[in-house]
Amino acid sequence: MVLPLLLLVVALCVVLAGWAGWFVARDRAVILRQLWGGAVIEGLLIVQGVVQGVIGASGDGPADPLLFWGYFATALVILPFAAAWAFAERTRWSSVVLLVAALTVAFLEWRLWQIWAGA
Amino acid sequence: MLAMAGTAGRTGRGFGRVLVSVYGILAFAATGRSTYELATKFTEAPVAYSLSTLAALVYILATVALALGGRRPGWRGIAWAAVGVEAAGVLTVGTLSLLDTGVFGESTVWSGYGQGYGYVPLVLPFVGLWWLWHTRPPSTPRLPDATEVPA
Repeated sequence: MVLPLLLLVVALCVVLAGWAGWFVARDRAVILRQLWGGAVIEGLLIVQGVVQGVIGASGDGPADPLLFWGYFATALVILPFAAAWAFAERTRWSSVVLLVAALTVAFLEWRLWQIWAGA
Repeated sequence: MLAMAGTAGRTGRGFGRVLVSVYGILAFAATGRSTYELATKFTEAPVAYSLSTLAALVYILATVALALGGRRPGWRGIAWAAVGVEAAGVLTVGTLSLLDTGVFGESTVWSGYGQGYGYVPLVLPFVGLWWLWHTRPPSTPRLPDATEVPA
Protein backbone atom coordinates (compact mmCIF):
# COMPACT_ATOMS: atom_id res chain seq x y z
CA MET A 1 0.00 0.00 0.00
CA VAL A 2 1.05 3.59 -0.54
CA LEU A 3 2.28 4.43 2.94
CA PRO A 4 2.14 8.28 2.90
CA LEU A 5 -1.51 8.19 1.80
CA LEU A 6 -2.37 5.65 4.49
CA LEU A 7 -0.59 7.67 7.18
CA LEU A 8 -2.39 10.82 6.05
CA VAL A 9 -5.78 9.10 6.38
CA VAL A 10 -4.89 7.70 9.82
CA ALA A 11 -3.57 11.10 11.00
CA LEU A 12 -6.75 12.87 9.86
CA CYS A 13 -8.90 10.21 11.54
CA VAL A 14 -7.00 10.73 14.80
CA VAL A 15 -7.44 14.51 14.52
CA LEU A 16 -11.17 14.13 13.81
CA ALA A 17 -11.50 11.70 16.73
CA GLY A 18 -9.73 14.18 18.99
CA TRP A 19 -12.01 16.98 17.82
CA ALA A 20 -15.08 14.81 18.45
CA GLY A 21 -13.67 13.79 21.86
CA TRP A 22 -13.31 17.45 22.78
CA PHE A 23 -16.97 17.95 21.84
CA VAL A 24 -17.98 14.97 23.99
CA ALA A 25 -16.19 16.57 26.95
CA ARG A 26 -17.90 19.89 26.23
CA ASP A 27 -21.32 18.19 25.93
CA ARG A 28 -21.80 19.37 22.34
CA ALA A 29 -23.32 17.74 19.26
CA VAL A 30 -21.43 17.25 16.01
CA ILE A 31 -21.16 20.43 13.89
CA LEU A 32 -21.09 20.74 10.11
CA ARG A 33 -17.38 21.61 10.03
CA GLN A 34 -16.57 18.22 11.54
CA LEU A 35 -18.64 16.56 8.83
CA TRP A 36 -16.60 18.45 6.20
CA GLY A 37 -13.55 17.00 7.90
CA GLY A 38 -15.11 13.58 7.59
CA ALA A 39 -15.84 14.29 3.90
CA VAL A 40 -12.14 15.08 3.31
CA ILE A 41 -11.21 11.70 4.84
CA GLU A 42 -13.89 10.02 2.71
CA GLY A 43 -12.46 11.69 -0.41
CA LEU A 44 -8.95 10.47 0.50
CA LEU A 45 -10.35 6.95 0.99
CA ILE A 46 -11.74 7.03 -2.54
CA VAL A 47 -8.35 8.25 -3.86
CA GLN A 48 -6.75 5.42 -1.89
CA GLY A 49 -9.19 2.93 -3.42
CA VAL A 50 -8.33 4.10 -6.95
CA VAL A 51 -4.56 4.09 -6.26
CA GLN A 52 -4.58 0.62 -4.67
CA GLY A 53 -6.91 -0.64 -7.38
CA VAL A 54 -4.49 0.50 -10.11
CA ILE A 55 -1.53 -1.05 -8.24
CA GLY A 56 -3.55 -4.25 -7.77
CA ALA A 57 -4.55 -4.34 -11.46
CA SER A 58 -0.90 -4.07 -12.52
CA GLY A 59 -0.23 -7.38 -10.76
CA ASP A 60 1.22 -6.28 -7.42
CA GLY A 61 -2.03 -6.60 -5.48
CA PRO A 62 -3.03 -7.69 -1.98
CA ALA A 63 -2.35 -11.27 -0.89
CA ASP A 64 -6.11 -11.80 -0.53
CA PRO A 65 -8.05 -9.35 -2.77
CA LEU A 66 -11.53 -10.39 -1.52
CA LEU A 67 -10.60 -9.80 2.10
CA PHE A 68 -8.85 -6.52 1.29
CA TRP A 69 -11.73 -5.03 -0.68
CA GLY A 70 -14.24 -6.27 1.89
CA TYR A 71 -12.40 -4.32 4.57
CA PHE A 72 -12.06 -1.36 2.23
CA ALA A 73 -15.82 -1.28 1.59
CA THR A 74 -16.40 -1.35 5.36
CA ALA A 75 -14.06 1.60 5.89
CA LEU A 76 -15.92 3.49 3.16
CA VAL A 77 -19.43 3.23 4.71
CA ILE A 78 -18.59 4.06 8.34
CA LEU A 79 -18.19 7.84 8.19
CA PRO A 80 -21.37 8.43 6.10
CA PHE A 81 -23.33 6.53 8.75
CA ALA A 82 -21.80 8.65 11.51
CA ALA A 83 -22.72 11.77 9.52
CA ALA A 84 -26.34 10.62 9.15
CA TRP A 85 -26.42 9.99 12.92
CA ALA A 86 -25.10 13.50 13.52
CA PHE A 87 -28.14 14.96 11.79
CA ALA A 88 -30.58 12.67 13.62
CA GLU A 89 -29.12 13.00 17.12
CA ARG A 90 -28.48 16.58 18.16
CA THR A 91 -26.85 15.73 21.52
CA ARG A 92 -23.31 14.93 22.66
CA TRP A 93 -23.96 11.29 21.75
CA SER A 94 -23.54 12.12 18.08
CA SER A 95 -20.01 13.26 19.00
CA VAL A 96 -19.37 9.89 20.67
CA VAL A 97 -20.56 8.17 17.48
CA LEU A 98 -18.22 10.31 15.35
CA LEU A 99 -15.35 9.56 17.74
CA VAL A 100 -15.96 5.80 17.47
CA ALA A 101 -16.38 6.03 13.68
CA ALA A 102 -13.11 7.94 13.15
CA LEU A 103 -11.15 5.50 15.34
CA THR A 104 -12.75 2.55 13.52
CA VAL A 105 -11.62 3.90 10.13
CA ALA A 106 -8.08 4.38 11.53
CA PHE A 107 -8.14 0.80 12.84
CA LEU A 108 -9.41 -0.53 9.49
CA GLU A 109 -6.55 1.28 7.70
CA TRP A 110 -4.13 -0.63 9.89
CA ARG A 111 -5.91 -3.91 9.05
CA LEU A 112 -5.85 -2.99 5.33
CA TRP A 113 -2.10 -2.52 5.62
CA GLN A 114 -1.74 -5.98 7.20
CA ILE A 115 -4.00 -7.69 4.66
CA TRP A 116 -2.24 -6.06 1.71
CA ALA A 117 1.08 -7.37 3.05
CA GLY A 118 -0.46 -10.82 3.47
CA ALA A 119 -0.45 -10.98 7.27
CA MET B 1 -23.24 14.60 34.08
CA LEU B 2 -24.84 11.98 31.91
CA ALA B 3 -27.73 13.59 30.12
CA MET B 4 -29.94 10.59 29.47
CA ALA B 5 -33.29 12.16 30.13
CA GLY B 6 -35.78 12.29 27.31
CA THR B 7 -35.08 8.78 26.08
CA ALA B 8 -38.66 7.92 27.11
CA GLY B 9 -38.36 4.15 26.82
CA ARG B 10 -36.81 4.29 23.35
CA THR B 11 -33.63 2.32 22.88
CA GLY B 12 -32.38 4.10 19.76
CA ARG B 13 -31.93 7.57 21.23
CA GLY B 14 -29.10 9.37 23.02
CA PHE B 15 -26.52 6.87 24.26
CA GLY B 16 -28.56 4.26 22.39
CA ARG B 17 -27.26 5.68 19.11
CA VAL B 18 -23.70 4.95 20.23
CA LEU B 19 -24.77 1.41 21.09
CA VAL B 20 -26.56 0.96 17.76
CA SER B 21 -23.51 2.28 15.85
CA VAL B 22 -21.08 -0.04 17.61
CA TYR B 23 -23.50 -2.94 17.09
CA GLY B 24 -23.81 -1.92 13.45
CA ILE B 25 -20.03 -1.94 12.95
CA LEU B 26 -19.75 -5.33 14.65
CA ALA B 27 -22.69 -6.69 12.61
CA PHE B 28 -21.01 -5.44 9.43
CA ALA B 29 -17.64 -6.93 10.43
CA ALA B 30 -19.18 -10.27 11.44
CA THR B 31 -21.33 -10.48 8.28
CA GLY B 32 -18.38 -9.66 6.05
CA ARG B 33 -16.25 -12.23 7.80
CA SER B 34 -18.83 -15.02 7.64
CA THR B 35 -19.74 -14.30 4.00
CA TYR B 36 -16.06 -14.44 3.13
CA GLU B 37 -15.56 -17.68 5.10
CA LEU B 38 -18.65 -19.36 3.64
CA ALA B 39 -17.67 -18.35 0.12
CA THR B 40 -14.01 -19.36 0.22
CA LYS B 41 -13.38 -22.05 2.83
CA PHE B 42 -16.58 -23.41 4.36
CA THR B 43 -15.47 -27.07 4.11
CA GLU B 44 -12.32 -26.39 6.17
CA ALA B 45 -14.23 -25.77 9.40
CA PRO B 46 -18.02 -26.01 8.92
CA VAL B 47 -18.79 -25.69 12.66
CA ALA B 48 -16.74 -22.53 13.16
CA TYR B 49 -18.01 -20.86 9.99
CA SER B 50 -21.64 -21.77 10.67
CA LEU B 51 -21.21 -20.28 14.12
CA SER B 52 -19.72 -17.10 12.62
CA THR B 53 -22.77 -16.84 10.37
CA LEU B 54 -25.15 -17.35 13.28
CA ALA B 55 -23.29 -14.70 15.30
CA ALA B 56 -23.50 -12.29 12.37
CA LEU B 57 -27.26 -12.78 12.03
CA VAL B 58 -27.77 -12.22 15.76
CA TYR B 59 -25.71 -9.01 15.58
CA ILE B 60 -27.79 -7.74 12.65
CA LEU B 61 -31.00 -8.56 14.55
CA ALA B 62 -29.70 -6.85 17.71
CA THR B 63 -28.72 -3.73 15.74
CA VAL B 64 -32.17 -3.42 14.15
CA ALA B 65 -34.01 -4.26 17.38
CA LEU B 66 -32.03 -1.72 19.42
CA ALA B 67 -32.64 0.95 16.78
CA LEU B 68 -36.40 0.30 16.79
CA GLY B 69 -36.92 -0.66 20.46
CA GLY B 70 -39.70 1.35 22.09
CA ARG B 71 -40.63 2.87 18.73
CA ARG B 72 -42.37 -0.14 17.20
CA PRO B 73 -44.13 -2.75 19.34
CA GLY B 74 -42.30 -6.00 19.91
CA TRP B 75 -38.76 -4.84 19.07
CA ARG B 76 -37.78 -4.31 22.70
CA GLY B 77 -38.47 -7.98 23.38
CA ILE B 78 -36.50 -9.02 20.30
CA ALA B 79 -33.63 -6.81 21.47
CA TRP B 80 -33.63 -8.55 24.89
CA ALA B 81 -33.56 -11.93 23.15
CA ALA B 82 -30.85 -11.05 20.62
CA VAL B 83 -28.57 -9.35 23.16
CA GLY B 84 -29.17 -12.22 25.60
CA VAL B 85 -28.20 -14.80 22.96
CA GLU B 86 -24.98 -12.85 22.33
CA ALA B 87 -24.10 -12.72 26.01
CA ALA B 88 -24.69 -16.47 26.28
CA GLY B 89 -22.89 -17.13 22.99
CA VAL B 90 -19.73 -15.21 23.80
CA LEU B 91 -19.51 -16.77 27.28
CA THR B 92 -20.17 -20.33 26.05
CA VAL B 93 -18.00 -20.23 22.92
CA GLY B 94 -15.34 -18.19 24.72
CA THR B 95 -15.08 -20.75 27.52
CA LEU B 96 -15.16 -23.74 25.15
CA SER B 97 -12.48 -22.20 22.93
CA LEU B 98 -10.21 -21.78 25.95
CA LEU B 99 -10.85 -25.30 27.31
CA ASP B 100 -10.23 -27.05 24.01
CA THR B 101 -8.91 -25.06 21.09
CA GLY B 102 -9.87 -27.84 18.68
CA VAL B 103 -13.63 -27.76 19.25
CA PHE B 104 -14.49 -25.39 16.41
CA GLY B 105 -11.56 -26.08 14.11
CA GLU B 106 -11.10 -22.42 13.36
CA SER B 107 -11.58 -19.24 15.34
CA THR B 108 -14.93 -17.45 15.41
CA VAL B 109 -16.10 -13.99 16.43
CA TRP B 110 -16.76 -15.33 19.93
CA SER B 111 -13.53 -17.33 20.37
CA GLY B 112 -11.39 -16.29 23.34
CA TYR B 113 -14.28 -14.06 24.51
CA GLY B 114 -14.02 -11.94 21.37
CA GLN B 115 -10.28 -11.43 21.71
CA GLY B 116 -9.85 -10.88 17.96
CA TYR B 117 -12.26 -7.95 18.13
CA GLY B 118 -10.72 -6.22 21.13
CA TYR B 119 -13.16 -7.95 23.51
CA VAL B 120 -15.93 -5.76 22.10
CA PRO B 121 -18.17 -8.86 21.62
CA LEU B 122 -17.77 -9.60 25.34
CA VAL B 123 -18.49 -6.11 26.67
CA LEU B 124 -21.20 -5.08 24.22
CA PRO B 125 -24.02 -7.49 25.19
CA PHE B 126 -23.72 -6.51 28.85
CA VAL B 127 -23.81 -2.82 27.98
CA GLY B 128 -26.81 -3.66 25.80
CA LEU B 129 -28.61 -5.48 28.62
CA TRP B 130 -27.91 -2.58 30.96
CA TRP B 131 -29.26 -0.10 28.39
CA LEU B 132 -32.43 -2.15 27.80
CA TRP B 133 -32.95 -2.22 31.55
CA HIS B 134 -32.16 1.49 31.87
CA THR B 135 -34.68 2.50 29.18
CA ARG B 136 -37.40 0.06 30.29
CA PRO B 137 -40.89 1.54 30.26
CA PRO B 138 -42.51 1.95 33.70
CA SER B 139 -44.44 -1.21 34.63
CA THR B 140 -47.42 0.72 35.96
CA PRO B 141 -48.69 4.08 34.69
CA ARG B 142 -47.11 6.65 36.99
CA LEU B 143 -48.97 9.72 38.15
CA PRO B 144 -47.03 12.97 37.88
CA ASP B 145 -45.21 13.75 41.09
CA ALA B 146 -45.89 17.10 42.70
CA THR B 147 -42.15 17.72 42.99
CA GLU B 148 -41.59 17.07 39.26
CA VAL B 149 -41.61 20.28 37.29
CA PRO B 150 -41.83 19.81 33.52
CA ALA B 151 -38.78 21.30 31.81
